[in-house]
Amino acid sequence: MNALLTLGWFVAEGDDVYVDSEGIVTHSALWPEIAEIIYGGLASLIIFALLVKFGGPPITKSFAARTARIQKQLDDAAADKASAATEATDIRQAKGDIEAERARLLAEADVQAEAMVTDFHARLDDEIAELQARAVADIATARTRGSDELRAEIARLSSTAADRAVAESIDDATQQELIEAFIQKVGASA
Amino acid sequence: MSDPRIEGYAKALFEIARAEGSLDEVEDELFRFARSYESSDALRNALTDDMIPAAKRQAIVEDLLGGKATSTTTQLVSMVVGSGRGRDLPAIIDVLVARASSSKNLEVAEVRTAVVLTDDQQARLAAALANATGKQVNLKVVVDPSVLGGIIATVGDTVIDGTVRTRLDQLKARL
Repeated sequence: MNALLTLGWFVAEGDDVYVDSEGIVTHSALWPEIAEIIYGGLASLIIFALLVKFGGPPITKSFAARTARIQKQLDDAAADKASAATEATDIRQAKGDIEAERARLLAEADVQAEAMVTDFHARLDDEIAELQARAVADIATARTRGSDELRAEIARLSSTAADRAVAESIDDATQQELIEAFIQKVGASA
Repeated sequence: MSDPRIEGYAKALFEIARAEGSLDEVEDELFRFARSYESSDALRNALTDDMIPAAKRQAIVEDLLGGKATSTTTQLVSMVVGSGRGRDLPAIIDVLVARASSSKNLEVAEVRTAVVLTDDQQARLAAALANATGKQVNLKVVVDPSVLGGIIATVGDTVIDGTVRTRLDQLKARL
């Protein structure tokens, strides 16, 4: 600032006198008087020093606090990020565990289903074998029963036919012969 | 040993018939009725059905025997049936016949044939059975077509079988 003032003074240096419209006389149409520049400069330095002395610490403190807050936010964000990363890792791990559990359950279900199918087939085979055996036995029994019934029916029919044939073959004369023969036989058996 | 009730009924019937003076005739009619009773399911069912009132059962007996048997025989059978002893009728009559025969020192000879015997055949058969068993017999002839031919005679515990039926059965058994 002083350099600018000095430079301005050399540019405006001269012996010319200027009077404005209100009648005030100055040495330069552009620059103030030298004494005014000195006083003004000193006043500026004092104000600047006062500003540095009394305004600097609060500003510095404010910046430090802001820096600390931002740092804290950064730290929190980093912590959150780390926590999120950890959680993501946990989720990924849990997902992996779920996948593994799902795979294990599916494998177990497959094994159980296979066992059930095998057991069902075995029981089905047993039942089929049992039914076949029973059917064979029933057929044999039915065959035997049918044979027995047929034999009994043939015997009954034969008996009936024999009775009828004999009854028809015995006429009155034969009846009388049989009766007389019986009487003679009984009479002679004393 | 017979049932005392059967013995009691038989004794009562015997005494009534004897008191009426028609023991032989009544005994013979009762014997033939007993054989008819044994061979007829319908008659047996009608006379032993407890659902039929006693009066109706007695009416059946009187319808059957009325005019064909003596009134004593009809009344005796009606009495037994009316008293609810229809099931025991053959046994009662058999005991009565045995008692009647015994009173005359005779043994009951039940004879079954396929055809009716003439009086001469019956007399000769009675003589032959008496000769064979050593007892005088009271011949009771039952016509039974199931014997086919010949005669079967039962005197007490002795059975003399000369029927075609028995020979046929023996032949079937052997076959």
